[in-house]
This record gives sequence, structure tokens and C-alpha cells, in this order.
Amino acid sequence: MIETAPIDAIMRALADPTRRAVFERIVGSEEITVAELTKGSGVTQGAVSQHLKSLRLAGLVTERPEGRNVYYRVQPQGLAPLVDWMSHYGVFWRERFADLRTLLKEIDR
Amino acid sequence: MSAVAQAFETREIVVDEVFPHAPELLWRALTDGALIERWLRMKPTGFAAKVGTEFTFQTTPAGPWDGRIRCEILESVPNRRLVYSWKSGDECNVGYGSALSTIVTFTLTPATGGTRLMMVHSGFELPRNETAYTSMSGGWKTVLGRMAELAGE
Repeated sequence: MIETAPIDAIMRALADPTRRAVFERIVGSEEITVAELTKGSGVTQGAVSQHLKSLRLAGLVTERPEGRNVYYRVQPQGLAPLVDWMSHYGVFWRERFADLRTLLKEIDR
Repeated sequence: MSAVAQAFETREIVVDEVFPHAPELLWRALTDGALIERWLRMKPTGFAAKVGTEFTFQTTPAGPWDGRIRCEILESVPNRRLVYSWKSGDECNVGYGSALSTIVTFTLTPATGGTRLMMVHSGFELPRNETAYTSMSGGWKTVLGRMAELAGE
């Protein structure tokens, strides 16, 4: 089982606009290197590396070293904590409304 | 856009339906402890539809979380509006059971043939991230849509 980070770590990681842009570019590609991410990002490679570190610690991306390069890819389970709660309550309330409908029918006499 | 992405975008869950009954009856179902238990499937302890009243629901525990949902009535306007806070989870947990501080709002409005009940469960966020969320662009939607796909939603 892949460990997921707490919601606040994920939210913090995605709160920074530059970091979010980096994350979005990783999402948009199969695998991508720091050099490729730096191109057209408007920030230095060092800054991109720092953002990647935060994203990695938040469990949003994984890295794969190969030769002189490190490839980054999205870890889909990264957003799981928030997805879990929201899906849980999405289902919860829809089901409860169905139960409420049944109950109201019973007591409306 | 998937339902999950939609929910993320707005940070709230909305269920909005019309029931063929009078607002008074819906209000009773929302504010009578025994009736709440029958449709919410959780027994409220200490419930009273009075602002400031604190009550709890007991649900499935997870890790260090005892499964207790702590609530407080924030607004109560008979037959019209009921708002309570909904706090659950523990900071040590992830996913289901992680710390959550949210608000549940029920709004009743007369509708053709009955009463419209809108439930909004809001606040799926941390207060300090409000600015970050507000600044999120359309690109965010795309990301979440793609994430949901990858996660096999």
C-alpha cells in the first residue's frame, strides 16, 4: 500500500501557483525531467527542484533516476485523502436523502 | 468534468431535492432526535435546534479517531434554515478519518408541490489555504479531471 500524505500537506503543496504549474505539467506528461520542466517555467532549475521535492513529500509525484536524469511522474493516489472524504460524504448525503424521502412518506399522515 | 472534480472546485457537496411535503414536516425530520436517527442513520446525542447547542453523532472509528462527529448549531430558523458545524477525524489519519472541519447547511424553500430541501456540506479545505483555493484557475479543473481518470474513478 502506498502511504498518502495528510490533506493539509497536499493542500499546502498545491497552494503555491508556481508549484501547482509544475504539478500540472507533470500531470500532462507521462514522465518528465527537471530540465524539461524548467524550460519555459520562468524559474531556475534549482527552484523547480525545490518544488519537486515538496510535491514528492506530499505524495503527489514520484521520481525515477536513470543515468544522469531523474524522471518525474504523477502519483495518482496523491489526492486520495481529500478524494476519500469528499466521495464518502457525496455518497453519504445522496443515500441519506433517499432515506429521508422514505421516512417523510411514512410520517406524513 | 467528473463529480469529484466538481466537488473539489467548489469545495462543497450539494444535494438539492424537492419533497412532496410541507416545510413543517421536513423541519421535524431535521430537528427531532428520533427522526434524525431514522434517516441520517446515526443517533444524535444532545441535539436541540437551538443556536449554540453542541451535539455529537457516533460513526465508524478510524485509527486514533473515535468515530465521533462533533457538531454545534450555528443557525436555526424554524421551517427555513438549519446550520451546524461538523467536525470529525484525527490529524494522524489519512483519507477517511482524517481531520475535517466542515459546515452542513439545510435550506428549506416552498416549491411547486412541496418543499425544496438543499443540503450544502461545505468547507472541505483548511482555512489557511483559502487564498490559494480562490486563486486556483481553470487549469485546476483539468488536473483534477485527469487525476480522477488516473485514479480509475
